[in-house]
Amino acid sequence: MTLKTKLLIIGAGIIGVMTAKFLVDKGFNDIVIVEKKYPGSGGTYRCATGIRASFTSLEHVELMKRSINLWPILSKQHNIPYKRGGYIWLLSRPEHVELFKKIVDFHHKHDIPTKIISPEEIREIVPTIRTDNLLAGVYDPLAGKASCFLSLLNILEYIKKKGVKVIINTPVYKLVTRNHKVVGAMTSKGVIEAEKILVAAGHGSKKILDTIGLDLPLENIPKHALITEAYKPLFDPLLIDWQTSSYIVQVLHGGFLIGANIEEKPNTPPTNRIDYLFLAANIWTKYFPWLPYVRVLRYWTGYYVMTPDHHPVIGPVEEYENLYVATGFSGHGFMMSPAVGEAMANYILGQKQNIPYIENLSPERFTKGKLVKEIAVFG
Amino acid sequence: MDPRKVIVCRCENVSLANIEEAIDKGYTDLESLKRYLRIGMGPCQGRYCLVLTAKILARKTGKKFEELFMPMNRPPLTPIEFKFFMNKSFTKR
Repeated sequence: MTLKTKLLIIGAGIIGVMTAKFLVDKGFNDIVIVEKKYPGSGGTYRCATGIRASFTSLEHVELMKRSINLWPILSKQHNIPYKRGGYIWLLSRPEHVELFKKIVDFHHKHDIPTKIISPEEIREIVPTIRTDNLLAGVYDPLAGKASCFLSLLNILEYIKKKGVKVIINTPVYKLVTRNHKVVGAMTSKGVIEAEKILVAAGHGSKKILDTIGLDLPLENIPKHALITEAYKPLFDPLLIDWQTSSYIVQVLHGGFLIGANIEEKPNTPPTNRIDYLFLAANIWTKYFPWLPYVRVLRYWTGYYVMTPDHHPVIGPVEEYENLYVATGFSGHGFMMSPAVGEAMANYILGQKQNIPYIENLSPERFTKGKLVKEIAVFG
Repeated sequence: MDPRKVIVCRCENVSLANIEEAIDKGYTDLESLKRYLRIGMGPCQGRYCLVLTAKILARKTGKKFEELFMPMNRPPLTPIEFKFFMNKSFTKR
């Protein structure tokens, strides 16, 4: 197979697909997307589907504010289930309340309407929760959730109709360069020649970029999640227990999805661990007296593709003309995908960016020592 | 028989007509079909519906059944209440 295209996107995850969507909307549709397994098979289909702007760095806040503006538009355009049901951070220690007071002040400076709420107010928003151990909560009303399956599939269907070619079950072995310019990619089915290439292959991006001597500091950290049987809507927000770094969200289909943090070695394959089920049960059955009688359906492991400063790597690669990267979302790729897709489309078309500070997230920041700083230390 | 009345996935109430329409729309790999229609994501975890769906897919696309049927089983293999995981901790031996 020898294919020629104007743009090759490596990775049919939400980032690659969203970028193609924004390009197609602007009339650019000579695009090939090549995917190692099947669309969404990396992080996208394994994610918790939460969407929030309540971060602690300007870069994250600006990206996510744009994303939160785009989500309802995309939801209407592509019939994607999306709901702005908020997030609540559950705080059980005085020092955490003090920390979050500072974070809330920072949010207010950047037009994110988070607020500290009392245990009584938490119970109003989340009926049936036990708040005996809680001192306060932080409510982020702008946050929400969307279906990770239909976000990807509906947009994929749309871009295919507009002429984008999607090749699945085809790993990319290496990039092909000539005179400091990428000219194509070698895949399991032959070479795909391209004028421009976007590498959006999650942790796989590291291996692909290694083949032309670009070393991105990415680490794959296994993360665990489970889902229960589906129920009628009980509460809207995603709840984060700050003490244990664990969350619960009732996804739009009805199941309760729980993620809890257990220590993992970076770059180990995502493997199921039964101790995770015990951990998740012990954290959340204390909050919800009905939870012991709910059945766990499935348990899976995904991964966070982490960078040293926990911010994504987005933008053109300085050393190589016509090469772009979008990876290292450190667990937040799905929520950011509309803003990142739009930004990558702008980069590829050579148009002006409308998100402030986005240039700070360039791949060169690691070698130049310009890591993005967090305002407060999270996690 | 009316394909709208033939139920393939009992947990998520997906009919033969739903599956055939999705395949016609271009959902020709089992993984995408599964996420699009939620086949195999209910309490039976695909025990009853995934094989049937793979067969329908094979018939409609002309591909071999073995080529299409690659399910991933996730634990627990049968739905289990949270109470069985409470107040105990599990340590590796």
